[in-house]
Amino acid sequence: MTLLSTSLNALGLLLLTHAVYSAHEHTTLTPTSPSTTSLSAKLPFDITLELLSSVLLICIGVVLASPDLKPIQWSKWAGKLEREGRKEVREGEIQEGNPYLQLEVRKGFLDIREKRKEFADWVRKGATSLS
Amino acid sequence: MLDERELAISPIVQSSVQHNAQTISNIRNLTASLFGVAAGTLGLESYPGFIFYLIGSFVVSTLIFALRAEGKPSEYFHQPLGDLWGGDVVSGLSSFVLTWTLFYGLVRA
Repeated sequence: MTLLSTSLNALGLLLLTHAVYSAHEHTTLTPTSPSTTSLSAKLPFDITLELLSSVLLICIGVVLASPDLKPIQWSKWAGKLEREGRKEVREGEIQEGNPYLQLEVRKGFLDIREKRKEFADWVRKGATSLS
Repeated sequence: MLDERELAISPIVQSSVQHNAQTISNIRNLTASLFGVAAGTLGLESYPGFIFYLIGSFVVSTLIFALRAEGKPSEYFHQPLGDLWGGDVVSGLSSFVLTWTLFYGLVRA
């Protein structure tokens, strides 16, 4: 999508520059008299067409280059985030993760017997090493 | 009352609303200057120029509607009519007039 929008923008800017330059040349080369009222009446049709098509191309390019819109309803937004998973948070970006992550990822219960056993082993080992 | 209750049932994410408004505002500012270039080069004067801007803004809104909002503006905007179709049209008018007069003078001179 970025390649498409970049190429559209580049082509549009090229055409726009050419059209504006052509219009400028046209007005400098044609003699102006007080009787001619409007510039648009005597601007050639191909320049007008080139100008309008280039503007349309740049508009499409700009819209395509813009970042994706985010859904505003909480349910859809959270659902989308959850489906996409947790993304890498870059510097300067608003941190957005799964809003229910703290509910979903929690520590289990502490295995108190295992801990007690570990402690007892450590005490025994320490006692033997000390003596 | 009904609106408040609806908001309580399906709450709205403030950061997404801001992000969408920012995106629309960026697009509008860029395209407004672009339309100014086109209007100045075409040599439009007074009302036709403003009508050109309005038509251009409508085209851009349609592009956003089709390409970015995927035809469902109510999913991305709280008020689709005000935020998508009419959002920042007036604020882009100043940059439009700026480039319009600039390019009118450049090409005409």
